[in-house]
Amino acid sequence: MTQDKQIKDFAKQLLKMSQDGSDVSAERVDGVLKALDKNPPRHHIALLKAYLKLVQREVAKSTAVVSHAGALSSDATEAIAAELSAKYGRAISTVTREDSSLIAGLRVVVDCDVYDSSVSSALTSLQASLS
Amino acid sequence: MSSVIEQIEQQIANLQTKAVASNTGKIVTVGDGVAKIDGLSEAMYNEMIEFPGGTIGIALNLEEDEVGAVILGEANHLKEGDEAKCTGKLLSVPVGKELLGRVVNALGQPEDGKGAIDCKETFPVEKIAPGIIERKSVDQPLMTGIQAIDSMIPIGRGQRELIIGDRGTGKTTIAIDTIINQANINKVGLASGDPDFRPVYSIYVAVGQKNSNVARTLGVLEEKGALEYTIVVSAPAADSAANQYLAPYTGAAMGEWFMANGMDALIVYDDLSKHAAAYRQMSLVLKRPSGREAYPGDVFYLHSRLLERSARVNEDNGNGSLTALPIIETLAGDLSAYIPTNVISITDGQIFLETDLFNQGIRPAVSVGLSVSRVGSAAQLKATKQVAGKIKLELAQFRELAAFAQFGSDLDAKTKAQLDRGSRIVELFKQPAFNPIPIEQQVGVLWAMQNNYFDDIDVSKVVGAADSMRDFFVSRKEALLTSIREKAKIDDEIAEQLKTAVDEWKNSFS
Repeated sequence: MTQDKQIKDFAKQLLKMSQDGSDVSAERVDGVLKALDKNPPRHHIALLKAYLKLVQREVAKSTAVVSHAGALSSDATEAIAAELSAKYGRAISTVTREDSSLIAGLRVVVDCDVYDSSVSSALTSLQASLS
Repeated sequence: MSSVIEQIEQQIANLQTKAVASNTGKIVTVGDGVAKIDGLSEAMYNEMIEFPGGTIGIALNLEEDEVGAVILGEANHLKEGDEAKCTGKLLSVPVGKELLGRVVNALGQPEDGKGAIDCKETFPVEKIAPGIIERKSVDQPLMTGIQAIDSMIPIGRGQRELIIGDRGTGKTTIAIDTIINQANINKVGLASGDPDFRPVYSIYVAVGQKNSNVARTLGVLEEKGALEYTIVVSAPAADSAANQYLAPYTGAAMGEWFMANGMDALIVYDDLSKHAAAYRQMSLVLKRPSGREAYPGDVFYLHSRLLERSARVNEDNGNGSLTALPIIETLAGDLSAYIPTNVISITDGQIFLETDLFNQGIRPAVSVGLSVSRVGSAAQLKATKQVAGKIKLELAQFRELAAFAQFGSDLDAKTKAQLDRGSRIVELFKQPAFNPIPIEQQVGVLWAMQNNYFDDIDVSKVVGAADSMRDFFVSRKEALLTSIREKAKIDDEIAEQLKTAVDEWKNSFS
């Protein structure tokens, strides 16, 4: 338990070193990885896994994963990014993914928040309300 | 049919036009009825979490990276990576009179196969107890129908009176007797058409009990006609620890509805030892630090916040009340164990049941020396006070002297008299299970005891004599019983009538 906590704390320090302001900087991450490679700490793999998790979480905060069924114009993607950036008060970039299971519509995921206007979720919710 | 179609169309229209925002997370681990979830950044303490398949959980551990949630109901279909959603709602259960006569689970869903329950309102399961300003002193009696309790350890509406004892000493029986007595009083009171009559509705919460025991209790309530005034919340031993943890709070929410609407309710928690054990199980699985007897540090708060919700509120807040009868099972009569001491300190008194008394055939096996009611005497009927004032003292003296009873011939006359009287009082208080006695009959019999009418009756015949006297009152002196019930005190007129009636009975009995 103590060991886990030490690894987590160390990973948090590494994350701080990897950030430029509130954003994760690729250059700094590279520097951190090189330094770790050069002087491998105890529990190297566990530390890297904890570090990866924290970085993923930080990146997810400024990335909107837009899943869509059918075509999605670049204007729509830009509009989504602009809207979300204004909402969260930080720059949000978008990553698009085609997902036919949505049937139609969009599903946007930013960190823990999900904005779902897909037909599949509407049908699921309709099914739940009728059962 | 067209309205159903419109409803569906409306639902589709609503869903088509807006994006649904939700805060989500992913299950990292799931096991032993507990899920650890990564994400859920906006989860609140005690918030309902929605899992796939409509399964519901409660967020109990809000950690830096994860949320620990206990799953209510079936969890076998959940797996790592499944999405969990915040609902933004605290766990609520249906409340209202529609629940009377029904058996529900910890979520308020029917368990008795009598169909859906059409409740109009819901109350949150966790609620802050009424504050000082909203409360009022306990000043109305709650009759249990058990002579030993109503005369020596009186309970008032809004009081928390613990029933404590070893296994098989009749704890549940006392609680069930009290529920049956409320139903009997309700029937008489409602039939009388008295506008000031305040019925007491009961809630029986069964935690961690065998289903057969719950079925037996239900059978008794139904047979005695008490089920129509009772809600049964059942979280049996086969239920998950989460449901057993939740059930008392569910019952409290249902009771609070009666209190909030200016009515009186009685809630029985049967029992809080098993409730604490269920909470310990949950806490250990959630990896909370454990303390004495492996219970988590907040096990006191677990019960104090539950029992504080029982209260008598003042006129400005509806003048309702919620009386609690929590039950605790001890091991080998050890009152100093962790959970018993906790609950003793929270409640306003306790009824202690002794195995030895039970085995001697003294039932209910109430230990007079260790039982106490801290606030009930303020609510005791004047009539009962008049006839039972000295009985507790006489009985306590008898218990002290009983050790010398074996030297019978060497005792002085005064001690012998005390022993004789004590043994008669003990006999008088013997009462069969599920047979509560109306207060006016209790008053009549105790008046006769106080006025030495039992002194020349053989000790072994006291129970029969008391039964015969009650039958006599019911069949021949109905008007006298009614006036005791209505006046609630013994004035000169009633005393005279009692004297005449008891003299008449004595002649016929001997």
